[in-house]
Amino acid sequence: MKKKKKNTSENITRKEAIKKIGDYGKYSALTAIGTYLLLHPKTAQARSPANPGDGGGF
Amino acid sequence: MSKLIIKTIEDKKIVWFQNSNSYLIFEPLVAEILCKIDNGIPLGNIKKWCSKKIEIPKESISEFLKNVYAVYNENNLLLKKKEIKVSNCKAPEIFISEKYYFINNLIFKIQFETEFHLLKIHPNFAHLEIESEPEYDFNYTVFNNEESIVLLKNLDFIGKWEHKEAHIFEGKLSMHLLIDIYKNPETEWMGVFHASAVGNGKESILILGASGNGKSTSLALLNANGFDCIADDFVPIDNDKNIHAYPAAISIKKSVIKTLLPYYPELKNSIEYPFKKMNKTVCFLPPKNINFDVKLKCKALVFIKYDSRVEIEITTVSKIEALQQLIPDSWISPTDKNVAVFLDWFLKLSYYQLTYSNNTKMTTIIEKIFNDEL
Repeated sequence: MKKKKKNTSENITRKEAIKKIGDYGKYSALTAIGTYLLLHPKTAQARSPANPGDGGGF
Repeated sequence: MSKLIIKTIEDKKIVWFQNSNSYLIFEPLVAEILCKIDNGIPLGNIKKWCSKKIEIPKESISEFLKNVYAVYNENNLLLKKKEIKVSNCKAPEIFISEKYYFINNLIFKIQFETEFHLLKIHPNFAHLEIESEPEYDFNYTVFNNEESIVLLKNLDFIGKWEHKEAHIFEGKLSMHLLIDIYKNPETEWMGVFHASAVGNGKESILILGASGNGKSTSLALLNANGFDCIADDFVPIDNDKNIHAYPAAISIKKSVIKTLLPYYPELKNSIEYPFKKMNKTVCFLPPKNINFDVKLKCKALVFIKYDSRVEIEITTVSKIEALQQLIPDSWISPTDKNVAVFLDWFLKLSYYQLTYSNNTKMTTIIEKIFNDEL
């Protein structure tokens, strides 16, 4: 089963989170049953990335 | 057997895997299979049980179950914790700045080695700055070590982050300030949400949305129109499901200052902090009347979006869509006790999508949500 792991913190789209438990061709019922969403919370507390000091703007 | 937490969400099941701290939403049948796998029920028995539930050839069921096992195993892997090297983190003797802040009757001393460190933290708390004090309750030290940012608390090592992870350093310092301010350890917090929290004295509404959608501007507008600013960007909720105030200033983009000037004339003379990387300039607006005794239940989640083409539009959002937007942008305490609290809290809320360009109408809608008039 191939799938990409997403662990992005912002703007995860429904499409990106949707995963499939295998591909069953003509058994669309299994494909439907096997569709799921995968969500990861942040692994650490964070503030918004865009704060003063970023990118040496001073 | 690992720790799973399973709850119903709409017509599906949400399954939390403790080992990977991941949340997966499945059809109920799959959740039931996962539960059987987790309880150590033999594959043959699960296969028989499945055959009664799904009318397809046995080979396909076998293939399906093999893949469900793979999903189970993949999400049941214990995540490796990032190793933190404590050595070689001696604090420097010279700091570019030492600031003192008075927060909830406590004095915090924060030492910054460089201007970069100062600019990361101080603008958020400048409104709480006091003159230097010989005695203080907490001493934080921020400095560079091997091109990383190091944070000490009362000379104890807290963490070390690469510069590209500066927002995580800020988050960790914010979390420690929160722990100190409320004398409540990290394990007693259900989560910290990337949102703005507005209150009406009785309850709170969380305003959510991607960066740039107008969370902070909406909060400032609501604060100017009689609502309380509870927290901006860093909204802490304890494991009794209470939203608490966080005293950081509201970050306001220069481009929206014109909109806010009638309410906040002080913004005209506020310090502007440019940063080239994001091609924008921000000012910091101190929240009015921060009350550290306030504990508010959450009334609703409002996903907000400023859109000049839309005067006002309010729609309800499904639980699954709301969860999908909320989880990747939140720190949720990864203990089983707190995850259970989080899911219970989340599943009972109301969720809305609010798109607007008319500030007055946006304020009215928020008022209506508070008053159950929608």
